[in-house]
Amino acid sequence: MAKIIGGFLVPHDPIMFVSPDAPEKSVADKAWAAFETCAQSLAEMEANTVIIVGNDHYMLFGTTCLPKYCIGTGHVEGPIDRLPGLNKGPVNNNEELANFIATDGAESGFDWAVARSFTTDHAFSIPYQLIVKRAEVISGRQIKAIPVYLGSAVDPFISMKRSRELGEQIADAVSRFDSDEKVAVIGSGGISHWVGVKESGQVNPEFDQRIIELCCKRDLDQLVALSDEEILEQGGNGAMELRNFVCAMAAVEASNVSLIEYQPVPEWVTGLGFMELKAS
Amino acid sequence: MKRDVLERILWSLSVDRFSKEKFKENPEKYLSRFPLDADDVEMILSFDVKKLQEVGVNSMLTMGYWIEMSPDRSMATYNNKLGSTSGYSASIKG
Repeated sequence: MAKIIGGFLVPHDPIMFVSPDAPEKSVADKAWAAFETCAQSLAEMEANTVIIVGNDHYMLFGTTCLPKYCIGTGHVEGPIDRLPGLNKGPVNNNEELANFIATDGAESGFDWAVARSFTTDHAFSIPYQLIVKRAEVISGRQIKAIPVYLGSAVDPFISMKRSRELGEQIADAVSRFDSDEKVAVIGSGGISHWVGVKESGQVNPEFDQRIIELCCKRDLDQLVALSDEEILEQGGNGAMELRNFVCAMAAVEASNVSLIEYQPVPEWVTGLGFMELKAS
Repeated sequence: MKRDVLERILWSLSVDRFSKEKFKENPEKYLSRFPLDADDVEMILSFDVKKLQEVGVNSMLTMGYWIEMSPDRSMATYNNKLGSTSGYSASIKG
């Protein structure tokens, strides 16, 4: 059977690409190096497939349909929002496993919205290109990638509780998938950040450190207990993406979570946290 | 609900080429097909992103429509309209 072997929690900050020289070089270097550390580690894990849990930024899903959770089960490309150094291209999806997760969910109370042909945005494509594609180069092996999109940036938001349950369903489905696939899961999101609002450019290192501590303690109960009001006040509207972290952590069931890097970067409008999830 | 229609318009003006063209050609005519009152129309035409956020419009849409459609597209002006002096923004178009 397939097995989840680990994962990562990483940011998907597009401003790193738009204004790479905005922060001090030492700060920027640490952030780029953290992605490289993740890629090296992913290559060493010998994963065949990576599930990347991200979220739309009101570019892909419009007002006609806002899914709480969606999985790309067929053709995948992206990102729709091309950035300097982040070109649009095809994604090597694991269609068989993605469809299995969706159909397994339908039998266990998780009615996935399905994208049969999907264009990602930067939430998927930044970790895909900086970690997954880079790990392919390092390892010399092909690694497939499945996009999972949660309603983390546009209300009505998926709840933290449901994000956790969804991660658990992904884990269950993978464990029943008849293959020798080794699967990693990436939770893609910033910690504190305010997007498009008056407070944009603020970061809250205290909130970020609290989240990192809860992640490293693997305290999903406390993470899930965070109210939306608290997240919005302390971490900003962008921190609602913590749902992506929760889903990934629940999927990996890590025996160890370690901090790779943390940088609060106002110039990139985000508290950037990088963590590795090691499965038992 | 007012917010829903406003979000539909701003989403279209952020991502849909046809809508962008029609708005540029004749903004009042473009907006006339939607159930908006005079205040709503004025909010959109004057790019009053602060008021739009106050009625509940998602800030990713106010930013997207600002970047795509506003006269100067400057995020400094956008921040200023929100009452912020921040020199930083989450705009993916610099």
